[in-house]
Amino acid sequence: MTVHINKPATGNKAKRILPVGHYRGLGAWTVFFFIFLYLPIVVLIFYSFNANRMVMNWGGFGIDWYIKAFQNDDIQKAVWNSLIVATVATVFATAIATIGALVLARGGNFRGKTVSLGLITLPLMVPEIVTAVAVLIFFSAIGMNWGLGNVIIAHITFCIPFAFMPIRARLEGMDTSLEQAARDLYASEWETFRFVTAPLLMPGIVAGSMLSFVISMDDFIITLMVGGAGSTTLPVYIYSMIRRGLTPEINAVSTVLLFFSVAIVTAYWIVSNKSQTKTVH
Amino acid sequence: MSNWLPRSAAGRRWLGLAPSYFVIGIFMLVPMVIMGVFSFLEPNPYGGVKPIGSLDAYVKLFFEYDLEDNLVFNPGYINIIFRSFQLSLGATLLCLIFGFPVAYFITLQPANRRNFYIYLVTIPFWTNLLIRTFAWIIILGRGGVIETPLLAMGIIEDSLRMMYTDGAIAIGLTYSYLPLMVLPIYASLEKLDFRLLEAASDLYANRFEVMTKVVIPLCKPGIIAGCLLVFIPCLGAFIAPNLLGGGKKLMLGSLVQFQFASARNWPFGAALSMLLLSAVVITLIFYARAAKKRAVLEGSA
Amino acid sequence: MNESIPAITANNVVKHYGGSASPVVALKNISLEIRDNEFFTLLGPSGCGKTTLLRLIAGFEQVTDGKIMLFDDEIANLEPSQRPVNTVFQHYALFPHMTVAQNVAFGLERLKKPRSEIETTVNEVLTLVKMKHLADRSPNQLSGGQQQRVALARALAPSPKVLLLDEPLSALDLKLRQAMREELKQLQRETGITFVFVTHDQEEALSMSDRIAVMSEGEVQQIGRPTDIYEHPVNRFVADFIGDTNFLDGEIMSIDDDLVTCRVGTQSMFEAENSGGHKVGDQVSLFLRPEKITLSPQSETIGTDTRPGKVANIIYLGNQAAYTVDIGGGIELIAQARPREDGNLPFAIGDSLAVGFSARALRVLAQ
Repeated sequence: MTVHINKPATGNKAKRILPVGHYRGLGAWTVFFFIFLYLPIVVLIFYSFNANRMVMNWGGFGIDWYIKAFQNDDIQKAVWNSLIVATVATVFATAIATIGALVLARGGNFRGKTVSLGLITLPLMVPEIVTAVAVLIFFSAIGMNWGLGNVIIAHITFCIPFAFMPIRARLEGMDTSLEQAARDLYASEWETFRFVTAPLLMPGIVAGSMLSFVISMDDFIITLMVGGAGSTTLPVYIYSMIRRGLTPEINAVSTVLLFFSVAIVTAYWIVSNKSQTKTVH
Repeated sequence: MSNWLPRSAAGRRWLGLAPSYFVIGIFMLVPMVIMGVFSFLEPNPYGGVKPIGSLDAYVKLFFEYDLEDNLVFNPGYINIIFRSFQLSLGATLLCLIFGFPVAYFITLQPANRRNFYIYLVTIPFWTNLLIRTFAWIIILGRGGVIETPLLAMGIIEDSLRMMYTDGAIAIGLTYSYLPLMVLPIYASLEKLDFRLLEAASDLYANRFEVMTKVVIPLCKPGIIAGCLLVFIPCLGAFIAPNLLGGGKKLMLGSLVQFQFASARNWPFGAALSMLLLSAVVITLIFYARAAKKRAVLEGSA
Repeated sequence: MNESIPAITANNVVKHYGGSASPVVALKNISLEIRDNEFFTLLGPSGCGKTTLLRLIAGFEQVTDGKIMLFDDEIANLEPSQRPVNTVFQHYALFPHMTVAQNVAFGLERLKKPRSEIETTVNEVLTLVKMKHLADRSPNQLSGGQQQRVALARALAPSPKVLLLDEPLSALDLKLRQAMREELKQLQRETGITFVFVTHDQEEALSMSDRIAVMSEGEVQQIGRPTDIYEHPVNRFVADFIGDTNFLDGEIMSIDDDLVTCRVGTQSMFEAENSGGHKVGDQVSLFLRPEKITLSPQSETIGTDTRPGKVANIIYLGNQAAYTVDIGGGIELIAQARPREDGNLPFAIGDSLAVGFSARALRVLAQ
């Protein structure tokens, strides 16, 4: 038998041995990572309070640009457009995704299940620019020109998978014996859905609609390509502002939009975390 | 409700899936087919197409007509495509190097804290990409957050000219899609049985070998998924090359947009989109194959 | 092999988990020696610290205080990968992305053995555990028993100085577990490697071990051969944890050279072997194994060591039956009896009988 005790090179006893799987520097790396991730956001917010006309020349603290942005008619119009598009797209996408998810999670195994799943998640796989081009060509080919309507239809399409995923995850995490118990206790199919499945599914539906709302609010490239002159949404308007010149007004509008998204995602996070703990116990 | 619903299970299934099929079929699948058709037509100089079949859009990828109307090789577009792949690969690699240790670090945390870290990773992803990329102009730009203090301290004497470079685009792309790398890697690391790490170290594997022989092979599906999730949108990226590359350093995404917004060459734009789409499809097929092979190898019955 | 140097020496080992503010004490103060070539078992209920001690030896945890020596070397500052000790994990921890052979070769490859040697050793070890025919399988395709054998082979392949086994049989079903006991014991004898075996199953411990350390609440209660532990437990915990036992709580009334007389309850007097160290008036537990009690029909009663009793309850176990016998004075004893040849039990509930046990079978334990 061979003995293979490999003594450490130095007799430095003070050196603490890290537990297996731990590595030095991971924590520092992670801190650096989060700085990289959040620095731009912090910078953006910071400069939105710049009183100067130029973004990068600090001219003292001021909220003038917020006031200016709120009074800007074009921004107001863009905000309205964004809200209309996001609301309508979310309602439709969530409804469509919910019944789709019910079929795919509760319909057993059937021919075409994989294909259906692939189709619903297709908008996630295709690069946004390709979707944008395809939809633009399509509308022009059939001569459809409903202004904001075109934008809404495009948004419904790419929001479906975002609404679908949390709803399906929720359904698959749900104990089917609950539904069986309801059926066993003389509930009709409709009653089972109404009193058992739907209430349990609600957090998934809320989460799905929040995600699709955020995605729709934030979309830029598809709206830019598909939307016409009258259907400028907030991100598209911000883009045009950037092209015109960098003023802190962009930062101010962006900061508002940013907080809006963060608020919704935080709400989503709380809802989904809550529903997780609920299912566990 | 049950009165008007189809009786058969199959009937109900298709009724439930019909809206999804309708919307995504009509407004996504059919448009992509039409896009394919358009790529074989002639452009209308005022936008749109003329219903005349033509391979010009694809020829234009490689050749151009010189003054005497002869086809000569033109590497311009090929270069842009090549650059797109290069920058996308670079950004994917940066995301991996940057993101993997973080995903690993998060898995080492106690369960209740992990969720919060993931929340912190996802937050920027859900905020507007355009806005976040715009912030990089303020950071990298002339007189921006990085330059100003360096200039003031006399460390540099002139602008670093970081904007409108490939480096700026790569940073922008990395920044845009970093969370998409961390999340799938974290998902697969979270399922990793840490006793396997102990087993490896018990069997004389040093820390480096524990990582390369056990952790990385076992979370390969997560790494591959993360790379795909970053690579694919990078390839079609529009915002980062446009804002940080200044529209001069074109990538595929911005080249496509240019065809519709300014150049009014729809067939060429459609052809470029088809090219992008086929790159994605090929990548996904490779991924599916690898996943299948892996499943067979590990005998997951 | 060298008898004089223990394979493993633990000196005042203390292990705390968590911060220093409110530490969870896993090991209070453990000192023990594990001899070279022996099959040593750490036995105790869950949470007694036996697995912690094993993990300290393997190097997955670091001691809070104290010293662990492997032969002549202190191993406290060594990574697990630097210790010539291998572990068989409770749930095997086989690498799912490698074949059986690759799993077994893993340790040898890390030790940079030559290719040819690795191949030979892998073959040898797989033959030893009767798994050679499945060398190219993936661990996911194996049954629990087969995975167990691979885990064993993988840990044995690098010829460790000490093999640590963390409840390796707990995930197997009963039949397989019993078969594996014999194999493990045989394997240990053949290889001559020191085995440190952790279990909460007293039967496993008694059947395989050369020596056993019974642990409870982070402390070693008793170390000894299986027969010592079973027949001469040093305290009530050990007596209770190993095997079935009757405890009679009482007070010492008198002591002479070989016998101690105790009063249990109000009037029952019992004589027990004098193990020394007791004095009159001590509150003690008398301990009596069920198999040391003989049950016989009342008519056959002979001698002074018998008392009259009555069957209060019977639990039929197939090869025997456990009788609860009321011997008066509020005392009930558990005794055993075999079914008769015709398969019927010798006594029924309510039967009067003679309950016999000698004073030598009764031992005095401090309460």
